[in-house]
Amino acid sequence: MNAVEINGLYKSYEDGKIKALNGINLTIAEGEFVSIIGPSGSGKSTLLNMLGALDVPDSGSITVAGQDLKSSKKLNEFRAESIGFIFQLHNLIPNISVVENIEIPMFTQKMSSNEMRSRALKLLDDVGLKDKADMKPNKLSGGERQRVAIARALANDPSIILADEPTGSLDSKTSSKILKQLIDLHEDKNVTLIIVTHDMDVAKLADRVVEVLDGEIISAGDDSLINSKIDV
Amino acid sequence: MSFLKFILKNPFRRKNSAILAIVGIAIGIIVIVALGGITDGLVNTFEDTIHAGGADFQISGKETGDSAYGTNTINASWTDKIAKVEGVDSAYPIYVVMTSVGDDYRNILIGIDPAGTSLADISMKEGRIMEDGENEAILGEIYADDNDYNVGDEIKIDGEEFKIVGIYETGDSNMAGGVFTSISKVGELMDDEDSISNIYVKVKKGVDAQEVADRIDAKYGDDITTVTSVMEMSQMADMLNMLQASTWAISLLAIVVGGLGIINTMLMSVFERTREIGVLKAVGWSNKRILGMIVGESLVITIISAIIGSLIGFAACTFLGPQMGIDPLFTPKIFIQAFAIAIAVGIIGGLYPAIKAVKLPPTEALRYE
Repeated sequence: MNAVEINGLYKSYEDGKIKALNGINLTIAEGEFVSIIGPSGSGKSTLLNMLGALDVPDSGSITVAGQDLKSSKKLNEFRAESIGFIFQLHNLIPNISVVENIEIPMFTQKMSSNEMRSRALKLLDDVGLKDKADMKPNKLSGGERQRVAIARALANDPSIILADEPTGSLDSKTSSKILKQLIDLHEDKNVTLIIVTHDMDVAKLADRVVEVLDGEIISAGDDSLINSKIDV
Repeated sequence: MSFLKFILKNPFRRKNSAILAIVGIAIGIIVIVALGGITDGLVNTFEDTIHAGGADFQISGKETGDSAYGTNTINASWTDKIAKVEGVDSAYPIYVVMTSVGDDYRNILIGIDPAGTSLADISMKEGRIMEDGENEAILGEIYADDNDYNVGDEIKIDGEEFKIVGIYETGDSNMAGGVFTSISKVGELMDDEDSISNIYVKVKKGVDAQEVADRIDAKYGDDITTVTSVMEMSQMADMLNMLQASTWAISLLAIVVGGLGIINTMLMSVFERTREIGVLKAVGWSNKRILGMIVGESLVITIISAIIGSLIGFAACTFLGPQMGIDPLFTPKIFIQAFAIAIAVGIIGGLYPAIKAVKLPPTEALRYE
C-alpha cells in the first residue's frame, strides 16, 4: 500500500500569480525514505505542507496514509493520528521541561498523564536523552534539542514523518548524528520518512530522491541522481 | 503533564506582563469587594435603624426634636388608635426618657411592654425579662459590658434601686447600649402613666409601609407624625440606591480597564507565541483546544486577580472601615459577584486573542519569525 498518492496537484498564491505547485504527481510507498530536493522557492516546502495537511491544494488529489486530504474536514485529527513533524528549528516550548514537550502531541490522544509520561520517557530514551528529561530546552545543545524534536515527532506514533530541513541549523558533525538517529528510528519503527532538504549529501541518504523545480517534479527517483548512500 | 497544568504554567512566561495584568484586574476587584462591603454595611445599618424593634416605621409626637428617641410624649391611647388603622398588624408603645441611670447623670431609659419583646427586637442573652411594674431592669450587652454589670446586681435608676434580671442582645446598636424596664414602671418614675414617647408599627404582610404611613398621616397628622421616619427611610433608600449605582459604575470602569489590560496581555502572548501555536496546530491540536488554552490562560490571570483583590478588599475594609465609622458587611454574594466578574473578564478578554490564534494559518504561523 502507498503512504502517499498525489495526482495533478496544483497550488497557487496571490490570486494565481505565484504557482507554488504546478501539476505534481507522486507516489511514495509505506515505509519508504524519500528526500525532496530543490532550490529555494521550488515548491518543496509547499509540497511538504500539503503532505502534512497544513495547507490544502487548489486542485488535484492527494491521499496520505489512506486519507483523502482534499475532501477531509478534520485535518487536525489526521495530523494528530498519522503525521510527525520535524522542523528546521526545533520549535520546543521553552517554559516546560523536555519530557513535557514530548507529551504535547499526546494531548490529542486518549491517554492518562502516567501513560503520557512513560511513553515520553521511552522516546527520550530512544534518542539518548532520558537523563535530560526534566531540563528546560534552553539547557540543551542545538543537536540535543533537535533530538528532542525527533522524539516529539514520534510521540503520536505516526505512520509518516515529515522533516523540513531537519539539520539545516546544525553543524555537519551534529547533523550526521541526527540523521543517523532519524534513519535508525525510521527503520526500527517502519515509519515512512520524507525529508525536504536542499543539501544533496542529506538527500542521498534516502531510498529515493524527488527533485522539484518551479512547482514541478523533474525527477521522481531517477537512479542516476543517487550514486550511492554515504555512511553517516 | 495534564492540559490544565500546561495552562497554569503559560501565563507566567512573561512575568512582568502577567503581574501588571493581575494588578490591573485586582484593583478592579478590590473596588468591587470594598465598595460592596461598605454599601451592604450601610444598608444593613440603615435597615437595623429603620426597622428597629422589628417595626416598619415609628410614630412620635408632632413636635419631636432631632433626638433619635424623641423626648416629647404622646398619649398612650394612641397605641390602640394606630392599631385599628387599616393595614396595621400591630402597634407597640415604648417610653424613652432621659434620666439618671447607674453612674450616669443622664442616660436613656427605655420602657417596653414585657410581653412584646419580639417587636422590640431584643432577645435575652442571660437571665429573664423584667416583670411588669416591678423595680427590675434588663441591660443591653454593650451597656452591661461597659459598666461591668451582671445579672443579679443592683442598678440605681432615677433614684430608685432596680434589680438587674437580664442582659439582652439586639441588632440595633442604639438599643444595645440601653437600659430597659417595663413601660408602666417608666410612667410611674416619670409620674406620667398616660404617656408614651413612640409607637412601633408593623404593617400586615404584603402591605406597603409607605401607604399605611400616609394613611396614618392623613388621619392623625395634626397630632402625631410618621413622616419623619418614612421620609428618612425613602431618602436613605434613595441615597443607598445612588451609592449602589455608583459602586456599579466604578466597578464597571475598573472592569473595562482590567479587561483591556487582559486583552493586551493575551494578544501580546499570542503574538510572541505565533510559531509555537503553529507547532501545536501541526501536531494536531484542534482549534477548540487552542481556544481553550488561550482563554484558560486568561482565566488563570483573572482568577488569581480575584483572589488577591478579594483578600485585599476584605482586609482593607475590615481594618479601615471601623476607623472611618463604617461597619462593612461581607456576604458571600459580594465574593461570588467579584469572582463572576473576574471570570467574565477572563473569558471575554481571552476570547479575542484566542480567536486570533485559532485563525492563524498553520503554515504562516510556522514561518513566523
